[in-house]
Amino acid sequence: MQVEGNGEESGITNRRFALPVDAENKSTTFRLFSFAKPHMRAFHLSWFQFFCCFVSTFAAPPLLPVIRENLNLTATDIGNAGIASVSGSVFARLVMGTACDLFGPRLASAALTLSTAPAVYYTAGIKSPIGFIMVRFFAGFSLATFVSTQFWMSSMFSGPVVGSANGIAAGWGNLGGGATQLIMPLVFSVIQGAGATKFTAWRIAFFIPGLFQTFSAFAVLVFGQDLPDGDYWAMHRSGEKQKDDVSKVIRHGITNYRGWITALAYGYCFGVELTIDNIIAEYFFDRFHLKLQTAGIIAASFGLANFFARPGGGIFSDLMARRFGMRGRLWAWWIVQTTGGVLCALLGQIDSLTLSIVVMLIFSVFVQAACGLTFGVVPFISRRSLGVVSGMTGAGGNVGAVLTQLIFFKGSTYARETGITLMGIMAIACSLPICLIYFPQWGGMFCGPSSKKVTEEEYYLSEWSDKEKENEFTSH
Amino acid sequence: MAIHKILFASLLICLLIQSIHGATKERVLGDLYKGALDVTTKNRDGVLDAGKDKVTITWKLSATGSEHESEFKTIKVKLCYAPPSQVDRPWRKTHPELFKDKTCKHKIVAKSYDNNTHSIDYTLERDIPTGIYFVRAYAVNETGHEVAYGQSTDDAKKTNLFSVQAISGRHASLDIASACFSVFSVVSLIFFFINEKRKAKLEQRR
Repeated sequence: MQVEGNGEESGITNRRFALPVDAENKSTTFRLFSFAKPHMRAFHLSWFQFFCCFVSTFAAPPLLPVIRENLNLTATDIGNAGIASVSGSVFARLVMGTACDLFGPRLASAALTLSTAPAVYYTAGIKSPIGFIMVRFFAGFSLATFVSTQFWMSSMFSGPVVGSANGIAAGWGNLGGGATQLIMPLVFSVIQGAGATKFTAWRIAFFIPGLFQTFSAFAVLVFGQDLPDGDYWAMHRSGEKQKDDVSKVIRHGITNYRGWITALAYGYCFGVELTIDNIIAEYFFDRFHLKLQTAGIIAASFGLANFFARPGGGIFSDLMARRFGMRGRLWAWWIVQTTGGVLCALLGQIDSLTLSIVVMLIFSVFVQAACGLTFGVVPFISRRSLGVVSGMTGAGGNVGAVLTQLIFFKGSTYARETGITLMGIMAIACSLPICLIYFPQWGGMFCGPSSKKVTEEEYYLSEWSDKEKENEFTSH
Repeated sequence: MAIHKILFASLLICLLIQSIHGATKERVLGDLYKGALDVTTKNRDGVLDAGKDKVTITWKLSATGSEHESEFKTIKVKLCYAPPSQVDRPWRKTHPELFKDKTCKHKIVAKSYDNNTHSIDYTLERDIPTGIYFVRAYAVNETGHEVAYGQSTDDAKKTNLFSVQAISGRHASLDIASACFSVFSVVSLIFFFINEKRKAKLEQRR
């Protein structure tokens, strides 16, 4: 029974859902203010959980001026902790794709969120630089909920809207990195006002992100659903999806050079975003002699731009595709990301507070839009190994953050402002490989489609060997 | 348009911050009259505990300082980091420009100047970090600018330093709460997993 996706009541199946759905029961529309089961509810649960994980992972940076004095941290310790906070998630993001396949996004993401919550609670009891690095490392694993968010949205929303659903879910999750810069200093000052000393108040403050993380996981488990038709384990798998060979899927993913380019490029838009989340509050506090709360507000405005900037990037990618196809997506991505790099390099050179804030705000829009534009290209790289390519790209984002903090923000080798400028220059350089991405059916930035007239179908079917295609036909 | 909104919002934020941001002073430590005040500190042996131990600070006008006495209106006494506590910590760095200088971040006391010997018992506050310190007293004129100073250590900042151990800020109640919430999170996860397995078995039996 074919179900139309434009609101027609053409079958019994349609009446089960509040939104119009396609043949797979995936929603064909996206209604932001609806909480209808299961599609929009899944959207709101998944972005909120991801948001809480971001808040927890970056809860320490805005309070660093207090924490560094309590624990007697050096600049090297702070740099190491920043690296630790984003490095755990590299591995976790790679594994999360498979975990979603096996257990469903609901259980996989909630399991990760609940098992990393103890790291956030234990931050209240740390007494040394090592303790600080450890809690940041383990709390950082929770950033892998990005993969489960994208996976869950792809299961709930169909083609024309999946880009928007993915972009908004990712963007609003990343918002947590900005919101935390406002929330933590605020919570800290409230607790201080209630009578606690500085060195105790920051510890108590960490219970807030911890509790939010725990309860968002509960909400996902209680109110969420893996697929439009039910949960993974409660459903009898009707086998409509042919079970694929995991090792072949992984091989096709990692041998596709485009996945490596997107991983590198994502490292220099999302990686830059993560690095800035880690260092920007301290940068404004130290360079411009601001109060903790003021530095927090400025730092927050960087991450808060994610509210519209990342979704905007995804929507812009779709717009460019309508007029110019894949070549438009690639050009838009390269231009926006390079501009972001230029603005980053500029930010470090500015001495005036006012101008710094203005440049930072414009820079934040460009770098976050670049993240959205990245995932406007990623879904087209592979069909068979979409999960692997997405996981590689996502992990690449964190690797970029690790590398950048390792090279430019560890210890006192570079002054913070020099580090920011150099990071911008590295972002410009690492965005150049986007020019090398080439699809035989659509072309690349500087080349048109192949003269051999390869079709879209041929490109995706080339991921299967002739023998595998035979097996597909004979088994039906 | 989103861009217009961002620029307008940033303008508002900047105006707000300019009103909080203080005036820039570009005077250099070298401009001040060195050793204008004799500052001495006395404390018990060993590492001092923040929040509990005291340092007795005494300051008076020195022989060299008496030439410029007329300019002194207020004496500001501050707790300053010695070089070992500044290593690999750029937020405590010594800058020649007074406004940028972050050596003496902790205020002890400010008193109006008179030609007597002053002595106070300063109890180390609970937000003093672990480190090695000395005391510096700035003489400030009517317009609020520092004009002279004296410190309890030598120019190389090597003699007469004292060590402070910060409070940990930790509490048993916080540790217990952490443990409880962590156990609660992990146990509920296990509970949910078992519940899912049970539901799957029921479904398969149907």
